Amino acid sequence: MTAASLLIVVLAGIYAFRHQESQAEKVAAPAATAVVDSSACIASKEYMKANHMRVLDEWRHSSVRDGNRVHVAPDGRKIDKSLNSCLNCHSNNRMFCFNCHMYANVKPNCWNCHISPMEAP
Amino acid sequence: MNEDRRSFIKKAGIGLLAGIGSAAGLFPALSLEKTVFPAWDEKPEPGKHRWGMLIDTRKCSGNCRECVAACHFTHNVPDFGNRKDEVKWIWKSGYEKVFPTASSQFQSSEVTERPYLALCNHCAEPPCTKACPTEATFRRWDGIVSMDYHRCIGCRFCMAACPYGARSFNWRDPREGIRLASTEYPTRMQGVVEKCNFCSERLVKGQEPACVEACPEAALVFGDLNDPASEIRRLLESNETMQRKPELGTKPSVFYII
Repeated sequence: MTAASLLIVVLAGIYAFRHQESQAEKVAAPAATAVVDSSACIASKEYMKANHMRVLDEWRHSSVRDGNRVHVAPDGRKIDKSLNSCLNCHSNNRMFCFNCHMYANVKPNCWNCHISPMEAP
Repeated sequence: MNEDRRSFIKKAGIGLLAGIGSAAGLFPALSLEKTVFPAWDEKPEPGKHRWGMLIDTRKCSGNCRECVAACHFTHNVPDFGNRKDEVKWIWKSGYEKVFPTASSQFQSSEVTERPYLALCNHCAEPPCTKACPTEATFRRWDGIVSMDYHRCIGCRFCMAACPYGARSFNWRDPREGIRLASTEYPTRMQGVVEKCNFCSERLVKGQEPACVEACPEAALVFGDLNDPASEIRRLLESNETMQRKPELGTKPSVFYII
């Protein structure tokens, strides 16, 4: 009985050691990431109309500076905090950003670097 | 009413606990134990990884530029064709320029005439981050010295502080100098400093840096310097390696086998 339990302990130990060894990958698995999910918007149309700039600013800060790339939508979906999450859907309309910004005379500098829906291939 | 203080406090305490308990049942936000963690709790653990690179210069030789081309395409690095406006993330240079303070006299001409690969060293003690007045460049939780282009004001203090010349300034609009644009990565704008980011955008997808993947001789090894079981640590232990200007105390994360 004791011999059998000892054997189990030793085998478990070997398995754990092997398992640990195989964990040493070249690039460790990312800590917390989510897919670029553009199937539905993260919030209501009204909320996004009023607050998209705050959402983008918060996403930029927390993903670039803190490394926290996962946004949890109210319905529990996990979304990668990336402009691409938005643009995968909104670049369908090439004037999506520009219509409103031109009307409101707002000149955000996103497109100095990021690829705008107008330039998207 | 001859109840003493002690028993009154006891009863009051039990009553308070019962109140909190029932309130927690009624209003989930008041429950003491969090059951749903908000997104901001998924921050990576600082200092767990320290990404590093080992360049085996015995394999990396000749005029091969696969790594430079792959990096500069992946990150939309412009090429204006002149030295004044040059922007570079990874480049090849002579022994004298990459290791100007290497003390080995009378090196063989084979060693001194070979081109050497240079890139941002992602120092453990980076001088550039200390020079930056807006914290646009900063050392990340995983050891990568990163640039936040949104914050860069183009003062170029970091370029003066970097002892390795790893930083370039966008004197011109970089979009004019990009012949073949990658849609996977943004460009920069005129007036910001840029440099190698150790492919942090690829690391989050679990991919190795573009230069490591592109090298036909497998001369570049990328890995976690904090993990004693990683390939890079094994190679660092079994080979004699060099860093660029180690006497400055910047503790580079890029190592060279000469």
